[in-house]
Amino acid sequence: MTAPSRLRIAGGTVYDPANRVDGVVRDVCIEGDHIVADLPADAPRLDARSMVVMPGGVDIHAHLAGGSVNHARRLLPEEHAAAPAPAPRLADGAPARSGTEGTVPSTFATGYRYAGLGYTTVMEAAVAPLMARHAHTELDDTPIVDAGCFILLGNDDYLFRQIAAGETARAQDYAAWLLGATRGYAIKIVNPGGVAVWKGGGPQRNVNALDDAVGSSRVTPRKILETLARAANALALPHSVHVHCNNLGQAGNAATTLASMRALAGQRAHFTHLQFHSYGGAPGQPWTSAARDVIAYVNAHPEVSVDVGQVMFGPATTVTADSPVEHLLHTSSGRKWVNVDIELETGCGIVPYTYKEKAAIAALQWTVGLELFLLAQDPWRVVLSTDHPNGGTFRSYPELIRLLMDRTYRDERLKQVNQKLLAGSALLDGLKREYTLSEIATITRAAPARLLGLERKGHLGPGADADVTVYATDADRAKMFATPRYVLKAGVLVVEEGQLRRAPTGQRLVVRPPYDAAVTKDLKRFFDDYATVAFENYGVEQPA
Amino acid sequence: MSPATPNVEHVTCLGCGCACDDIAVVVQGGRIAEAKNACALGLAWFADGTVPTATRVNGRPGTLDEALGAAATLLAGAKRPLVYLAGDISCETQRDGVAIADRLHAAVDSLAATGAASVLAAQRRGRATATLGELRQRADLVVFWGVDPGLRYPRYASRYAVSPSGLQVPGGRQSRRVIAVDIGASRGPADADARVAIGAGQEVDALGIMRATVAGRALGATAPLDSAAALAREMSAARYVALVADGEPGPSGPDVDRAESLIGLALALNGPTRCALSILRGGGNRSGAEAVLTWQTGFPFAVDFAPGFPTYRPHAGAAELLATGAVDGALVVGAPDTLPEPVTRGLTGLASVAIGPRASAAAFTPVVAVDTGVAGIHEGGTAFRMDDVPLPLRPALTDTKVPSAAATLHRLRERLGA
Repeated sequence: MTAPSRLRIAGGTVYDPANRVDGVVRDVCIEGDHIVADLPADAPRLDARSMVVMPGGVDIHAHLAGGSVNHARRLLPEEHAAAPAPAPRLADGAPARSGTEGTVPSTFATGYRYAGLGYTTVMEAAVAPLMARHAHTELDDTPIVDAGCFILLGNDDYLFRQIAAGETARAQDYAAWLLGATRGYAIKIVNPGGVAVWKGGGPQRNVNALDDAVGSSRVTPRKILETLARAANALALPHSVHVHCNNLGQAGNAATTLASMRALAGQRAHFTHLQFHSYGGAPGQPWTSAARDVIAYVNAHPEVSVDVGQVMFGPATTVTADSPVEHLLHTSSGRKWVNVDIELETGCGIVPYTYKEKAAIAALQWTVGLELFLLAQDPWRVVLSTDHPNGGTFRSYPELIRLLMDRTYRDERLKQVNQKLLAGSALLDGLKREYTLSEIATITRAAPARLLGLERKGHLGPGADADVTVYATDADRAKMFATPRYVLKAGVLVVEEGQLRRAPTGQRLVVRPPYDAAVTKDLKRFFDDYATVAFENYGVEQPA
Repeated sequence: MSPATPNVEHVTCLGCGCACDDIAVVVQGGRIAEAKNACALGLAWFADGTVPTATRVNGRPGTLDEALGAAATLLAGAKRPLVYLAGDISCETQRDGVAIADRLHAAVDSLAATGAASVLAAQRRGRATATLGELRQRADLVVFWGVDPGLRYPRYASRYAVSPSGLQVPGGRQSRRVIAVDIGASRGPADADARVAIGAGQEVDALGIMRATVAGRALGATAPLDSAAALAREMSAARYVALVADGEPGPSGPDVDRAESLIGLALALNGPTRCALSILRGGGNRSGAEAVLTWQTGFPFAVDFAPGFPTYRPHAGAAELLATGAVDGALVVGAPDTLPEPVTRGLTGLASVAIGPRASAAAFTPVVAVDTGVAGIHEGGTAFRMDDVPLPLRPALTDTKVPSAAATLHRLRERLGA
């Protein structure tokens, strides 16, 4: 049995915010791999009465495949040994794969588990261009989900040369060429300039402010942000520039975050894992929550979007291109540490970490994330993420949804966490808001799809991809969202009665923006002078 | 190959882990006439590109269908099968090999296990490293720790860490200081700017003293190994240190303590300065096997699917399983002549299938042998450099009669329902 060519999901309560459908009992009709307006009455039916129907989940920011993720996997044999994942038994006897879980699961387990949570689209948020071939090969082994790659720019020497020379048009051509060559989807900026400074050695270990010099004073974090945001918008990329600000995880970093947002005022820009960038206080001083200030700016600026990067208590693995931060985390936590400097481009840092309720800073981080969610006025611009596996794994999303939807539960949890740094936080002052199912559907599918420019994702209108999740209603929202009753991916019933039953191959989401081919001649010279990989071997397409 | 286009450029060589991708291959009369830019190891690896094209079942010639049928029967009938990923296959082939192991509930290991000491140490401590090009851009001090890369990694110095100019080392070799650390008889390069000698039995002690020195702990005037301490001070004062050591076992065999001590020093040096530990790895795309096993199972080598999911048995890998007679059937994918000697010995007399370059000449006389092309010479795909940088393979000889390893293994995978 393969994809039902026609299926009527009948009688479910539909939450499809993109089409302004808010809890209406109606049928959702599928033909082939997409949604249609209607079907003949004799089409096969899936009884969804008393169930909740939503589009398939869309994760706007996770680290699931590629060079850095695989370094993290290799670092964690103890986690994998404790979390075996036998192969699921698929309906048609098709071969399925075993694997291991933990905070950084093996590829097949990753695909199966995402689908098992009702997620059908995931963006890999940090791919070094040099490692893009690796990321795509891993994604080929990550079943079911459609996936796209955010390509790391903003610490790359070729870009710095263009910025220093005032060559903004060439910088744009370079970004466009790079997205095509790497089969990328969006431009990702991580700690603009800071990673390059860390790699360079010498007394300066990082950048601290937007106007710090990166090598030459003509290159600063501000100029990197401006150049790449302008490029993304001029190229009309489906997703704006995706920004991980400077000073992640530092007390007082909210000032840098707000300065970064102001630097791009009026331009479309997405600021990722905002929780990690919304702290008050100052280095060496106690941390405080600055969520109110940061979310107030977001609320007032419709060109800005964010994902939260919620911290969830329990084991995590921090894995990021922001390598100077990981050195700090290694020295403060004493945990094992991986650093990989990646030639001419970026870095990679990894430290396993555990967020404990009784630890003051972890409790503050948890609080800050919830404050951002609960104070956000526009769910279309403030979407759900844990920066998997940095703030917690994607498997903790159902628990996070419960925290957002169930104030009583949230308040009980709040009482159990370390209160030392929470004075003055909005959450401690009392936030009554409870997310509705429609708002959850917005922040987990409709809004991320819209922010990514995925016109066929995140909604259930005619022409949309037939990615659909059906939940049995449960007052315990964590339970409800952890075990969808049915999941369809491109019309294929992948989860049935809560069990993974089919594992089709997902699609790759890519862009191929136009550029002036003259840039490739200049790039070839740069490669000949500095690179250790031939220009001709750099792109991910297999040579003819 | 059309005679009008005899050259294939930007070819990646898998002769060692350097994976130099600047080889220009000249083909004449269906053979490789020249591999420009290749070192001696590379020239030996490319040779003239001719490989045997036999398919044998029980020592007799057979068709590919017969061979795959017999292979499937042998492997499906084994109670305790082993899949071994040998050298000179692409990541695409390795992925199918692991899929077969998963389906058979087999043990699976690879040539990457030769570097087990470094991997195990890194799993305990982490790693401070860089891609080779970053050493080229940054390293103003290069310390070769008991290794002369000229022997097993001939172009390492000319392409990566020493000779070429880089962003912060515009003068190339002139902008860098090179120190050879001689560990007993394991000597660093002869043309180093300075040498430090450490006794063969003192290596781990020396690394401990160096780490203490980097951390600023004074050991007093009577401290032993003061040359090592002086080296540590010099490393701390450099801007970016490349610490280069061999990940493949030397005469004294693998040493986890040494590997962990090297990592500890590299981690510590990132307090006062920057340091990348570059672990040299052998060729044949063994780094690809490590990467593929890691992403498919969570473990880098010595994986066992016996319980129906991957378990990690780093001290009971292929060589140990074979030596104890635990295995009753084996699939070797890749070139049998790349196998470590204990694995070859253990396979001898065992019912086995070999699919790979020169399989029919395997010293362990497999029941089923299918000669295939060599990844990077006869077939394309992806391979990993020793620093985990992925590279495309550009086959220069594509119209030979030899079957592709990737296609052959994929057919076996389908027969096994994997």
